[in-house]
Amino acid sequence: MSNVQSCYQCGKCTSICPMRRVSKTSPRSSIYNANIYGFETQDIWTCLTCGLCPQECPQQVDFLSFIREERQGKQPLAIAHLGVFTELAELSSRLNGNIAEKSGDSKIGFFPGCVDSLDLFLHDVKTNFGEITTSSVRLLDKLGMKPQVLNMKCCGHDVLWQGKKDVFNGLKEYNKKYIQESGIDTLVTSCAECYRTFSKDYDLGIKVIHTSQLWDKLGLKINQDVTYHDPCRLGRHMGEYDAPRKALTANGVTLKEMEHSKEKALCCGVSNFMNCNEQTKALRIARMNEAEATGAKTLITTCSKCLAHFNCLKNEKDAVKKYDFDVVDLSVFLARQLEAGK
Amino acid sequence: MSTEAAAGTPKSEGWEPNILAFCCNWCSYAGADLAGVSRFQYPPTVKVLRVMCSSRVEPAFILKALKDGADGVLVAGCHIGDCHYIDGNKNAEVRINNTKKALEKLGFDKRLRLEWISASEGLRFSEVIRNFTEEIKKLGQNPVKKPQINADERRLDTSDISVNMRSIANVQGSEVK
Repeated sequence: MSNVQSCYQCGKCTSICPMRRVSKTSPRSSIYNANIYGFETQDIWTCLTCGLCPQECPQQVDFLSFIREERQGKQPLAIAHLGVFTELAELSSRLNGNIAEKSGDSKIGFFPGCVDSLDLFLHDVKTNFGEITTSSVRLLDKLGMKPQVLNMKCCGHDVLWQGKKDVFNGLKEYNKKYIQESGIDTLVTSCAECYRTFSKDYDLGIKVIHTSQLWDKLGLKINQDVTYHDPCRLGRHMGEYDAPRKALTANGVTLKEMEHSKEKALCCGVSNFMNCNEQTKALRIARMNEAEATGAKTLITTCSKCLAHFNCLKNEKDAVKKYDFDVVDLSVFLARQLEAGK
Repeated sequence: MSTEAAAGTPKSEGWEPNILAFCCNWCSYAGADLAGVSRFQYPPTVKVLRVMCSSRVEPAFILKALKDGADGVLVAGCHIGDCHYIDGNKNAEVRINNTKKALEKLGFDKRLRLEWISASEGLRFSEVIRNFTEEIKKLGQNPVKKPQINADERRLDTSDISVNMRSIANVQGSEVK
C-alpha cells in the first residue's frame, strides 16, 4: 500500500508535473478523487510515472506506488502503437516457454531486453536498436567479461506499469526460473527499464547492474562534446546519475549539461508505451530544444525508449524543426568510438 | 519452428482449426465472394473480416488474435501493383514480414500467412484456405493457455472498441476528456 493517506493536498506535485504544462493532468486531484470519492480519473492514465513529483512532495507520498495500485486491473485509456508490445508480452506469458539450452557457463549474464521487437515494430524510426546489444557485448569483451546472453521473455516492465499484474507475474515466474537455472551471479542489462524491474520488482538475490556502471574502465580517449539525457528509470527511480556521466568523462568526453539535468531532468514523454500523443510530443520537443541549446553534436541516453522517441521526433517527415545532432545510446556511442580506434 | 509450440499441442479428436482472415475490401473480399457465388468448396474453418486495405492490419491485431486463441491468421490483399491505394500492400508486406520474425521466437511464424488474392481469383481463395487449414491441422491447436475470465474482465473486454476509438481521437489531436 502506498502512503497516499498522508497527502495534505498542497499541490506541489501538480505544479512540478511535466504533463501539467501541456494538459489538465493533476496528480493532486487524482489522489483527492481516488481517496475521498473513490473516483476513477483519467489522470492516472496520463501520468508518465516519471518520478518527479515524489521528489518534491513534503509528505513523501509514494505517488508511483499509488499510480500502480490504481491502474491495476483496469483498462488503459490508450497504449501507444495500439499496444503491440503489450500484446507480444501477453502472448509470450501465456506460452509455456522452453528453458533454452545454456549459451555458456559464465557467471555473468547479459540480458538485451526487447531490442529485437523494437527493431521489428518501430522500423520507421530509423534506429538500429540491435546495435545496443552488439555494442554492449563488444565493450564487455574489451573489459575481459564473457557473458552468457540470456534468452528470456520480456522483463514485464511495460505490462506492470500498464496495470496488468497477472501478465507480469507470469513473465516474472518464467524469468526467475530461467535465471536460477542459468546459474549466474551477476545480471548485466543495457536497458534502464529492465534494470529497474530486475532490481526492484524481482527479488532475484543476485547482483543486477546496468551497462553504464561498467564503462568508466574502458580507457578510451574521445575528444568530443556531448550532452546526456537522464532516463527516468535509471535516474529518479534507481538514483543512478553519476555512473553514465563518469563513463563519459572517464573516456575523455566533455559533458555539457542541459538546463534540467539529474534529479530535475525532463521526461522523454513515453515511459512505458503509454500516451504517445500531441501532449507528450510537446514534452519531447522541449527536451530536444534543451539538448540543442547546449551546442553538443550528440545526445546520449541509456534507455532504448528515450532513444526511440527522440529519434522518432528527429526523423519525422514533415517536421517543423530539424535537429542537427545525433541521438545515440551510451554503449553504441562508446563502441563506435572504440571501432574508430580512439 | 521451436519445440515449444509442438510440445504444448493438445491432441483432440475431431478438432477443426479456427482461422481468422483479414481480407482487403477491393480484391480478396471480392475474391471470397466469388468463391461463394461460384460454389468453390473450402473448409468452414475461416472467419473473414473485411478491412479496407491489407495495410490496415496492424501487428497488434494479429498478436491479439493469436493471444486469444486463433489457430491461424491469414492476411489477404491485392497483388503487388494492383493496390487500390497504390502501395498499401507493399507496406503490408513489410509489416507482416516483421511480425512473422517476431513470432518466430515464439514458434508461431507458420500460423501467420500473407497471400495476394485478386477479385477474380475465387478458385485461388478456396485453394489458399484449404491449404492453410491443412497446414494448421498439422501444427495442431494453438498452445496458449486461456486465462480464467471472471465477470469483471469480460465487461472490460467489451469496452475495447470504445477505448480504441478514444485512442484514434487522441492521435488526431482532439483532447480526450
